[in-house]
Amino acid sequence: MKRLLWFLFVLTLVGSCLLGSTTIHPFNLTAVERDILFGLRLPRVLFSAVIGAMLGLSGSVYQLTLKNPLADSFTTGAASSAALGAVLAIALGIPLPLVPLVALLTGLGGLLLVYRLARRDGFINPVSMILAGIVMNIVASAVISFSKYYFEDSLSSIVFWLMGGFFVVDWGKLLVCLAVFAVAYLLFSRRALQLNLLALDEHSAQTLGVNVHRLRSFAFVIATLLVAVAVSHTGIIGFVGLIVPHIARSLFGSDMRHNLFYSSLLGALLLTAADTLARIIIPGGAELPVGIVTALLGGSFFLYLLQTRRERFWHG
Amino acid sequence: MAELSVDKLRFRRGHFTLELDRLQIAPGEKVAILGENGCGKTTLLQLLAGLLPPSGGQVRYGNAPLQKIPMIRRARLFALLPQFSDVIFPFSVFEVVLFGRFPHRQGNAFSAEDRQLSAEMLARFDLEDLAERPFNQLSGGEKRRVMLARVLNQQAPLLYLDEPNAGLDIRHALEIFSLLRDRPETIVAPVHDINLAHRFFDRFLLLKEGRLLADVHRAQLTPALLTETYNVQVATGTAAFLFQH
Repeated sequence: MKRLLWFLFVLTLVGSCLLGSTTIHPFNLTAVERDILFGLRLPRVLFSAVIGAMLGLSGSVYQLTLKNPLADSFTTGAASSAALGAVLAIALGIPLPLVPLVALLTGLGGLLLVYRLARRDGFINPVSMILAGIVMNIVASAVISFSKYYFEDSLSSIVFWLMGGFFVVDWGKLLVCLAVFAVAYLLFSRRALQLNLLALDEHSAQTLGVNVHRLRSFAFVIATLLVAVAVSHTGIIGFVGLIVPHIARSLFGSDMRHNLFYSSLLGALLLTAADTLARIIIPGGAELPVGIVTALLGGSFFLYLLQTRRERFWHG
Repeated sequence: MAELSVDKLRFRRGHFTLELDRLQIAPGEKVAILGENGCGKTTLLQLLAGLLPPSGGQVRYGNAPLQKIPMIRRARLFALLPQFSDVIFPFSVFEVVLFGRFPHRQGNAFSAEDRQLSAEMLARFDLEDLAERPFNQLSGGEKRRVMLARVLNQQAPLLYLDEPNAGLDIRHALEIFSLLRDRPETIVAPVHDINLAHRFFDRFLLLKEGRLLADVHRAQLTPALLTETYNVQVATGTAAFLFQH
């Protein structure tokens, strides 16, 4: 299974590098094709893989720490409130390197608000959490709409960016994202055992020696950092973080020591595949924003989860 | 093993207040807490386990005040079975019992010894056949037994068990209570079944509306005291089913 997954991943990476508006023939490279491959295609493919891994990892952590199978950056309101911060930062002309920082702050603010509303007496109510997340999404999109209306000059760039995609990629951005992902992954995997215990109710976890509040806050900050960096580079790409941890769990079990890794790998796989699809689905070189593809995939998966596991959610 | 002592403990939440002036529990004692719903049994347990901050007073383990003991050290002093405990996502029964070894882990992994102890614990609770089943597919009583195995697997000298027999059939309740009676650990447990408690515990704390009505040994647990605690008529020696294991 592990080997098959790696094989699929490499296959997707290679396929993604070769397919697109210009098909590249690896054994017969022309100069133009080489430029396209190394200057445009390769960084973009790697970028989508890293962003996918970031979203998968954050989803895995969100679902466990919030004890909700429907949690990811999108449903918790973290992504939309991070996007809100990023849009405001762009509209107000804050220097580009500071945009992820603003996104992180508003993203954390949104997530904490949702968490506060959903938690009572040591239990997180899954239904309240989703409802609060929806409210957060509505409020954030209202403010974003307002900015689109008010800051007319940046309208088109905001709209384009919000749909999510990998249009402008360079090696520098790629390295920043890779570094953020690597640090977050290391921090989480060193605490994988503690994270597992968060699957228990709060009091059990606490009396087993886990400082639940500290660990949760830590997980929120790091997971939201992943989301904020991803969102401020590519816009909102929904549902990758929702789907992927479930697949990883059903293939390799719930233990976070495996789930962190396979959620990242599957996230990278899924987003690279989705981006390739977005690039080739319209003939003649036009591209779809990848957010549309993932939202369609994720939306169907969300409905499937609601249909099959409804019982447990409503009593949970 | 450290002695548990409580001094002028106070807790307030809304209209509810809990007051406990003095309590000492020696190592190895088996203490049942009796009282009607909402009298503060669970709150007392949570205060003793440091899960709620008291409004006043102190809980001490040996000579150390509870708030001075770091979280990870507490896990070696006492373990808790909450009234409601759940596990999200399909962790296996074995994994859940293995969680109990967390305070004893070395680094970021469980040792072979931890696995060995967990397997033995499963056997003791008659759960071997369920080891690979996902915890959240079990019945209520089975979940309760798995959680008890998890708590005992922590090897803490003091166990707080909030209604350990909730949801258990009579055979498993008897088995577990006799198992607990023979263990060396100190046990403090709110119990609703007074007859079972009377058979298996030595000492009784009677709570009423957040106050300690009485702190008595088995011989002194009289119908009059129970009448006062629960506001019901109590008779002894009447015809009833008697269960033996």
